[in-house]
Amino acid sequence: MSTYGKVAFYPGCALDGLGKPYEVSLKLAAQDLGLEYEKIEDYNCCGALEVKNVNTMAGLLLPARNLSLARSMGANAIMSACPGCHYSLSRTQYFMTRYPKLSAKVNAYLEKMGEKPYDEQLLMIHAVEFFYNTVGPEGIKAKVKRPLTGLKVAPYYGCLYARPKAYTLTGYMRMKDDPERPFFMDELLKALGAEVVPFEAKTMCCGGPHVYSDAETSLHLEARILKEAKRNGAEILVTDCPLGHVAIESNMNKIASKYGEDLRMPLAYFTQLLAFAFGHGPDETLLTANLTNPMSVLKRYL
Amino acid sequence: MPIPELEKPIIKGLIQKDKVVIDGLELDGTWNAFMIERTQTGYDPSVWDEIANTVEGNTISLCWQCGTCTSGCTMREYDPKYSPRRFIDLARKGDKQSLMELQDSLWRCVSCQKCTHRCPKGVLVEEVVHAIHNYMLKHGLVKKDPGTVFDEIFLEAVMKNGGRISELVLGGASAKAGFVTLSIRDLIAMSGPLLRSGLIKDLMKPSKVKNWDRIKKVLEEAMNEEVTPE
Repeated sequence: MSTYGKVAFYPGCALDGLGKPYEVSLKLAAQDLGLEYEKIEDYNCCGALEVKNVNTMAGLLLPARNLSLARSMGANAIMSACPGCHYSLSRTQYFMTRYPKLSAKVNAYLEKMGEKPYDEQLLMIHAVEFFYNTVGPEGIKAKVKRPLTGLKVAPYYGCLYARPKAYTLTGYMRMKDDPERPFFMDELLKALGAEVVPFEAKTMCCGGPHVYSDAETSLHLEARILKEAKRNGAEILVTDCPLGHVAIESNMNKIASKYGEDLRMPLAYFTQLLAFAFGHGPDETLLTANLTNPMSVLKRYL
Repeated sequence: MPIPELEKPIIKGLIQKDKVVIDGLELDGTWNAFMIERTQTGYDPSVWDEIANTVEGNTISLCWQCGTCTSGCTMREYDPKYSPRRFIDLARKGDKQSLMELQDSLWRCVSCQKCTHRCPKGVLVEEVVHAIHNYMLKHGLVKKDPGTVFDEIFLEAVMKNGGRISELVLGGASAKAGFVTLSIRDLIAMSGPLLRSGLIKDLMKPSKVKNWDRIKKVLEEAMNEEVTPE
């Protein structure tokens, strides 16, 4: 815990909506491991990948308000579970540190909103990095009550978990994952006893921002991720990105009818597997709320 | 970096005739094809400056035209006309006409950030491509594309719904805008697990930010402000 100092948790809208299982299981896993974080209760949307394209100032101010809230809580680091939020917050930090006059303008608006100006002192971390750098695989191994021996998993990190390096500061230090060949989640899953299959689509795009506006391309991209996972014999796709997770889950029927029924595969958040392996039940970890029914492969460990 | 000429001749097409007879003699081989030449004018050197003067497009000047961005591009696999390297090249030359011809590709960036991450010169390629697209939109040179329509829906939904987004709000607004969304079959498949877990309750009542009205007002004011990279 001393790795990061005080950690503020930015849930983001996804985790309060269809990504609820992610938040619930994250909390369970962190509690079991004795990790502490404080949730930012009055957070607002980070603007994701959409708002920044419409208006520069809105794209910076929305994340900046969350950063300011985290600093008001006395946090040293801000943890996001959604790589999209992680990216947005890091992007704002990058532009604010790069352009002092822009930063002054953002801060002036923050004060008008009634928030403190943001002093650019936060470290941005993603939930996977949080688990890996605090308790690490060894700490996780010690808590496992229900080893997932022989479960073949494909870890899907998503595009924005470690990219681009300018924003997320990956590739410069050991506390950050490798941007092209990430392995932090692999290690966490191996600690649960699961078998991590070779997976080429770890950081491939799911078509996120164009899921609605360019649906055909998104289906192509999502089918590619599932094909890579199937080809390597994975039984379950483990995600750390609620955008990709929800997009693939809700498009599963379309993908199956267009690219073949054999592509059907259950999805689960990595925190759900953590909490499940620590002995929590399927209802508690909301594994039953995943649209693709991961319990179909996990029930043999009950 | 070659200095772009202010005018360039381009071949618009070929006239091919099956039979060409001149002075009673029939020509064969390549003699029966004639090129139509057209001169393209209207290079606008201000395009580069205007894009370089935006927060997103500032790094456009760093580009070396190596093509690293384009060789790994996610979108290029599905749309051969999609090329960040070319977009940057055309924008810097000020070749608005060629950019207009590419308008069905220009908007399709999925923001996977491979380009930005890999650029050896530190160009924020994803941001620059959006800056180029925004330039074209701002000057009315391209029609409004589905991506921008969705982006605007998203911003509007954030503003209207108390600073947060829910999948239901977003899905509903997108359906209204005519995007293909979930079919009835998908909805039925979805509702089962959501009802069983009680998650549906959270989805039906998205939470709001306290004091959102005040924040919204400030945001609206801020959105009118022109910002430059400094």
